[in-house]
Amino acid sequence: MVAIGLLALLYGWIAGLEADRIYANLHLNSFYFVSLGLTGLFFVAVHAIAESGWQVSMQRVGEAMSMFIPVGGIIMLIVFLAGGMHHLFEWTHEDHLDHILIKKVAYLNQPFFYIRFFVFFTGWVLLAWLIRKTSRQLDMNGDIQYFNRLRKYSAFYVVFLAISSVVSSWDWLMSIDAHWFSTLYGWYVFSSMLVTGFSVLVIFVFVLQRMGYMKHVNEEHIHDMGKYMFGLSIFWAYLWFSQYMLIWYANIPEETIYFYERLKYFDTVFYFNLIVNFAIPFLLMMPRNAKRVYWVVIPVAVLIFIGHWVDLYQLIMPSAVGHEAAGIGFLEIGLTIGFIGLFMLVTFWGLSKAPLVPKNHPFYEESLHYHTNY
Amino acid sequence: MNKDYITAYYYDEDELLKGIRQMKEKGLEVLDVLTPFPVHGLDIVLGMRRSRLTRVAFWGGFVGTAVGFFFQAWVFTKAYPLNFGGKPFFAVPSFIPVTFELAVLFAAFSMVFAFLIYFKLGPGAKTVIHDERITDDRFLVVVNLKDEEAQEQIEKALLEAGAEGIKRNA
Amino acid sequence: MYVSPIREPLIRGEKNYSQVTKDILAPMAGKPSIYWYLGITLAGIAALFGAWATYQTVYYGIGTWGLNKTVGWGWGITNFVWWVGIGHAGTFISAILLLFRQKWRTSINRSAEAMTLIAIACAGFFPLIHMGRLLLGFFIFPYPNTRNLWVNFNSPLLWDVFAISTYFAVSLIFWYVGLIPDLGTVRDKAKTKIRKAIYGFLSFGWTGSSKHWSRHETVSLILAGLAAPLVLSVHTIVSFDFATSVIPGWHTTIFPPYFVSGAVFSGFAMVLTLLIVARKALNLEEYITVNHIESMNKVIILTGSIVGIAYITEFFMAWYSGVEYEQYAFMNRAFGPYAWAYWIMMTCNVVTPQLFWFKKIRTSLVATFIISIFVNIGMWFERFVIVVTSLHRDFLPSSWVMYSPSLVEVGLYVGTIGLFFTLFLLFIRVFPVIAIAEVKSVLKSSGDHKKTAHHE
Repeated sequence: MVAIGLLALLYGWIAGLEADRIYANLHLNSFYFVSLGLTGLFFVAVHAIAESGWQVSMQRVGEAMSMFIPVGGIIMLIVFLAGGMHHLFEWTHEDHLDHILIKKVAYLNQPFFYIRFFVFFTGWVLLAWLIRKTSRQLDMNGDIQYFNRLRKYSAFYVVFLAISSVVSSWDWLMSIDAHWFSTLYGWYVFSSMLVTGFSVLVIFVFVLQRMGYMKHVNEEHIHDMGKYMFGLSIFWAYLWFSQYMLIWYANIPEETIYFYERLKYFDTVFYFNLIVNFAIPFLLMMPRNAKRVYWVVIPVAVLIFIGHWVDLYQLIMPSAVGHEAAGIGFLEIGLTIGFIGLFMLVTFWGLSKAPLVPKNHPFYEESLHYHTNY
Repeated sequence: MNKDYITAYYYDEDELLKGIRQMKEKGLEVLDVLTPFPVHGLDIVLGMRRSRLTRVAFWGGFVGTAVGFFFQAWVFTKAYPLNFGGKPFFAVPSFIPVTFELAVLFAAFSMVFAFLIYFKLGPGAKTVIHDERITDDRFLVVVNLKDEEAQEQIEKALLEAGAEGIKRNA
Repeated sequence: MYVSPIREPLIRGEKNYSQVTKDILAPMAGKPSIYWYLGITLAGIAALFGAWATYQTVYYGIGTWGLNKTVGWGWGITNFVWWVGIGHAGTFISAILLLFRQKWRTSINRSAEAMTLIAIACAGFFPLIHMGRLLLGFFIFPYPNTRNLWVNFNSPLLWDVFAISTYFAVSLIFWYVGLIPDLGTVRDKAKTKIRKAIYGFLSFGWTGSSKHWSRHETVSLILAGLAAPLVLSVHTIVSFDFATSVIPGWHTTIFPPYFVSGAVFSGFAMVLTLLIVARKALNLEEYITVNHIESMNKVIILTGSIVGIAYITEFFMAWYSGVEYEQYAFMNRAFGPYAWAYWIMMTCNVVTPQLFWFKKIRTSLVATFIISIFVNIGMWFERFVIVVTSLHRDFLPSSWVMYSPSLVEVGLYVGTIGLFFTLFLLFIRVFPVIAIAEVKSVLKSSGDHKKTAHHE
């Protein structure tokens, strides 16, 4: 499967269309999957801080997902250095900056951009490594000091991620439309990645169970993941609405142009985004039993994965590529499949590096005997 | 209750659950169980079905959404369309907040009223309080007394099932 | 259900069920302490000040306030948002912590929810009083009338009407439904006929039947599921009052989640202020333990940090946007004539909650109490800064003006504080402050005589 993924990666490259489009797609996918890695780790971290017990049986998957972060980072860097900067970001054309872009030069300049890039990735990779290491140490000798250390690193990670995800989304996504701005943007993107990351985690758990592992994960755990998918989809839709409605209401042209372009030329994508990412999870995942059974949870998780890819598409493409050149064709699908393959490769490799079941974790017993009443 | 019954009480919820299982095995008919707080696992042991109140809440919410949205749409497109800041008459983003609030309001109230009406609870309701210590620390099981002769047998069975005490009510 | 042995117990003192009942009902029995009388007297005096101010406003009009053409919203709306924000903690504790299965909420949710209801009542007072023609206040509700007029559904101020009304109504029934079984307890333990009759009436005939309990749990769960998005929506809609405008400093997309976090932040601070005193005065330290205080402090770090990030984002985006009006708005906040308010806000909201990263401070009752007061002050100033600094100097310099509150406005605010504490002190005497049945349901798994695992 992974081999097919890698082939698709090459194929997608050869399909050779507008350079803008190729770079934009590479950028989109690398950002998407790095975010999934970050969110997988966030799953581990946030539950460690909250001292919750039920997720312990699944947290190895989150840790493994985080191994993709450096891989995606390298791809992003190559894309930027190999010409992506000029194709994606209009503010890199230093010789013809208009009067608005000139004001932003103190922030939107290439050296500072790269410095921030390295700060983010260093922080992420370092904290991911620390958390994974401590988690494994905890498993090896169950000493409570490792548990406390895990909580400490998790707290650092959550704080660092809060700031870095917001600033990185400004750098890598919002500045594609450098004339536009929105204070909610960072949180909006983060919420999108959060729900997708948790959905992908569930898909991995499902695949592992099909392969015969993780027998201790029962429908109670799936129920909770289903609740996350339901609730976080609603949260994402709430942020989407906040951003959209406020810009619609005040009707200030320098803000509305963003949505005007999308509604005029990308309307199918725009509405698809809303229906797949909100209406479907909201309606399908509302009944209690729907959240407990794989045959509802997994298709919805897959839809969420596709839907938020489309969300990212409508964030990037209209500005990076423009409505004449953009489209969803072999390039997009092929490249995405390639990245999926790569992500799966890295995650499974990560899973093989540590025992799937953290037996010595102080909350492991709780996770085993887990039974919710609602 | 207009039946004859015997009540047995416990001081611990785990003993209660064990006891009820034993009672059911012995063929005793458990009419009701009264507890100071909801005991988990009790609904399964007693064979209760899933509550339909969730459906009431859902349909209440649905009605609230429809009422909210279509009412606003009617007011702004048919009844008295006015130009507010250049916004279109059918201003969907503007309608969402009120629609949402009404959905929640209708869902919550319909469910709570259904709950109270179904169980006939309300100010001045006339209910039977079997034992004043139920709301304190006593767990009560109410067993059907089918005929007078069986009383001794039933009382013995109850004590074997771990009851701390028995009361006879007619 | 299995509980890991490394978890701290939630109820100390090796209690059994009847002790729980006794302890929680104790504050309602007998004569109140001298401190209670002192408290309610002080609160009553404050409320009287408010009554005078209300009379001034209704009889003489809004001219008795310090508002002017440029600054059309001042203390009135600041106080409104402040109170609504405080109310959010109760629903957060009851609903959102229930959905996240945080058992530690059981000792604090009843009083927090009561606080919510009182806070919303205090909040709702402000929109009512600022209307001028109070007797026509019902105009804000859509009803068929001879002028064929309807309310303006396009206006966030109207969305507020629906939001606050729904929030009050749903919080009320959520609080009350939870209270019914506990009122049954009070009824059954009542020593006089009158008390028995009153609480019998209030407890709706509750019997403790398992069928009732099962459905009660379902209702509580669904109400929690409804109340959680509701509480988010209410402060979101309040933020829309500002964000839908075009005013620099107001029109910014981050307002909805930023306001919600700020609300939970200030609400938890108020809960802490109240409960640190109440737990000592009512001898409930074994139920509202240091653990509970610490957990609440963690929520404060979380929400306070989110608010801090929002401040930084707004500031950065003002620069990044290149819009001079937006940039000026922030410069004016930090260095203009109201800079003192701005820096109080920043110190109280950004700096003080970060102290809770240190365990010593998190678990210190004195420090927590002091910090909670600072947070409440800081959050008041945040609303003041947002409202007044953005209004007093917006696009047209010739309209720039200063604003200061009149004695009447101060009186109204002090009055609501008096009302709040009066009602809360009454609540303590009339209703059980802790959710008796809920605490009992976690006693076995989380009480301190069950340090070893327990299987069903």
